[in-house]
Amino acid sequence: MPLNSSVRENGNVVITSGNSLTIENAAEFSRILREALDAAHVVAIEFEADVAIDIIGVQILCSACKSASGSGRKFTYSGPQPQGLTDIIFSSGAERYAACKHNNDSTCIWFGGAQ
Amino acid sequence: MMEQAIATYREEAGELLAELETSLLDLEETPDDNDLINRVFRAMHTIKGSGAMFGFEEIATFTHEVETVFDMVRNGKMTVTKRLLDLTLQSRDHITYLLGCAIGEGVDRSAGDEIIAGLRQLVPRPEMPQKGSTEVPAITLPAVSEEELANESTWRIRFRPAPNILLCGTNPISLINELRGLGTAHVVAQFDEIPQLADLVPENLYIYWDIILTTSSGEDAIKDVFIFVEDDCDIKIELIDSSGLIDREEGYKKLGDILVERGDLSPVEMKKVLMLQKRFGELLVEQGIVTPEKVQSALVEQQHVKSVRKERSEAPPAEAAASIRVPAERLDQLINLVGEMVTVQAHLSQVSLAGGYSTFIAISEEVERLTNELRDTALNIRMLPIGSTFSKFKRLVRDLSNELGKEIEMETFGAETELDKTVIEKLNDPLVHIIRNSIDHGIEMPEARRAAGKSPVGKVYLGAEHSGDSVLVTIRDDGAGLDRDTIRAKAVERGLLSATADVSDREIYAQIFAPGFSTAAKVTSVSGRGVGMDVVKRGIEGLRGSIAVDSVRGTGTTITLKIPLTLAIIDSLLVKIGKDHFVLPLAAVEECIELTSDDVKNSHGRNLANVRGAIVPYIPLRQHFQITDQRPEIEQIVIADIHGTKVGFVVDSVVGEHQTVIKSLGKVYRDVKGISGATILGDGTVALILDMNVLLQNIEQMENS
Repeated sequence: MPLNSSVRENGNVVITSGNSLTIENAAEFSRILREALDAAHVVAIEFEADVAIDIIGVQILCSACKSASGSGRKFTYSGPQPQGLTDIIFSSGAERYAACKHNNDSTCIWFGGAQ
Repeated sequence: MMEQAIATYREEAGELLAELETSLLDLEETPDDNDLINRVFRAMHTIKGSGAMFGFEEIATFTHEVETVFDMVRNGKMTVTKRLLDLTLQSRDHITYLLGCAIGEGVDRSAGDEIIAGLRQLVPRPEMPQKGSTEVPAITLPAVSEEELANESTWRIRFRPAPNILLCGTNPISLINELRGLGTAHVVAQFDEIPQLADLVPENLYIYWDIILTTSSGEDAIKDVFIFVEDDCDIKIELIDSSGLIDREEGYKKLGDILVERGDLSPVEMKKVLMLQKRFGELLVEQGIVTPEKVQSALVEQQHVKSVRKERSEAPPAEAAASIRVPAERLDQLINLVGEMVTVQAHLSQVSLAGGYSTFIAISEEVERLTNELRDTALNIRMLPIGSTFSKFKRLVRDLSNELGKEIEMETFGAETELDKTVIEKLNDPLVHIIRNSIDHGIEMPEARRAAGKSPVGKVYLGAEHSGDSVLVTIRDDGAGLDRDTIRAKAVERGLLSATADVSDREIYAQIFAPGFSTAAKVTSVSGRGVGMDVVKRGIEGLRGSIAVDSVRGTGTTITLKIPLTLAIIDSLLVKIGKDHFVLPLAAVEECIELTSDDVKNSHGRNLANVRGAIVPYIPLRQHFQITDQRPEIEQIVIADIHGTKVGFVVDSVVGEHQTVIKSLGKVYRDVKGISGATILGDGTVALILDMNVLLQNIEQMENS
């Protein structure tokens, strides 16, 4: 599935990752996220198992999480975390074990392993 | 010089590999033991580092792969599994093989490649990125020697890339990985400057990094990493710890001090928060003064430096070496010289006493005292804990039980028991044979054990303990036990025992040590040919030791080896028969009593003495050695304890205690039964050392036949 978003019957927006979330499609990814968070209370990403993610992809996820938290929306993902995300979290030192103040002082679901 | 260094490396690496094997086998029992995991990592790290230094590139490259995996285990990113241990044990064997190859010589890499492939399958993917990925594998430690480790410094690096760094074609993760390549690094990405989506320029980078790096490379090496981006990026490099710092403590700065130093917190804010008496980090976050990420980053620094300092404080200081390495041949030479000195000193004592000159006697006594001290010290130098060989046997049990489809665990005790180095080396083969037999014939298959109401997992115990001037090495299994009747029948069939002889269980079990004796229905690759136990007996007797076997059918077998502590110099009793001197090992001697000609007459040729109401058989050595001159009116019986039985050895007179330097008799006399060696006395004459055990067996055999 390419990078795209769709609205479910319950009003939630699901964004499919496609096979790349990198600097090359950073503008599109952030736009889709921004629009989704404007439109829905719950936004979830469905990752392709072999999606490639770079540090810019990580940054956009963090930015979207801060935006959702600021506007009282829920930003999450469904299914297993893809290996590409685990790899970049590990290599960039992005692992988070402390609560995030931008995420209502909750453990980071993206980089701290909680969901 | 280099050759000597290489030889030393080979020797040290051999020891590290032995330690590695022990740790791996222990780890199998306690996979969560962090000390063991660290020990495995350190052994690999040292083998790799020193290997690279001495030109063993194959070893350095191969070991690096295994070490990387254990670094992940150490950091909690992987768990210890049986497969991992199997592969690491195979790695140990492969390193042993590589160690045996000459530097630069072509080596067979196939086994190593298979092991590496196996290890890679176990590693979580971040360590092994897919082809084409822009990310470099995670933490890799450089090959550094122990000396370099002592020169390590820890640096705090804040790397704030230019926002357009990625658009300019530089990947900051590659730079971070270059830093990782310099040493041990902890990396914390800081996200606090990432704005919300509305304000985000997607291609710009808002993330910056705190890196704590411990490395033996200098500051210039760190700066070189950033050489192409330094003009556009904000890079701060600070030295926070070094082995050379004068005010070094084992702990590290408090969290607040780190944050103030980093500029993430002002001293005023710190004071204010400290007055609230709560955990400092929590307070900072609660009050919104510092973000949790910054606290986490500072805590990572605190933890990193603390562990580096702890490791450094535990390492022995290089300049005050607690031990030195000496080639074994030099120790052997030292023992030989001490032996010569003991002999000369005995001569000196004899001459001084004969001369009767008091000053000379006093000097001679002082020389005797010093010689005794020198002898004890020299012998102690050669003492090694027997546990150094135990890991080999644990491995043997592990491999053989896998091969035979049995489940067997080995437990050891008394690993710290010390024995002479040569004795330990010579014990190896007998122990291998005994343990192989226990595994193959002793321990039953799991189904058979279940059927017998036993745990499916068999146990083999191997232990050592001191007993006087000997060490008892015990090998016990909880297997099927020896079949007394089958052994007896086989011994009778082979003419080793008479069908009607009234013999004890121990004597029957002792038949398993006869050459070619086997009751095994089939010969396996492990044992059953009837060769091994004969080797055991010869090996142990060669050490002047003895073997005892106890067994209970269905419950198990215990084999006890009694081994003298040393082979070089022993305490003994010097006796005289006719004009000849003989030496009896003092360890077995219990007492000496008189034997008059009337006693001999009254015993009517039965050679039995009444010792405080107990009947003790004796062996007239004069008769045994066919010494024909006049026997004295009063002889002496030296009573010894041989396998729990009291036996007397009749001699003309007892001269007294003697320090016996054991000399072998040479090839021609090797098969003379009852004589285990010779020694040179003070006056230069030779005294034969009697093997009381073999003498007794000989006489028993002669009487039986």
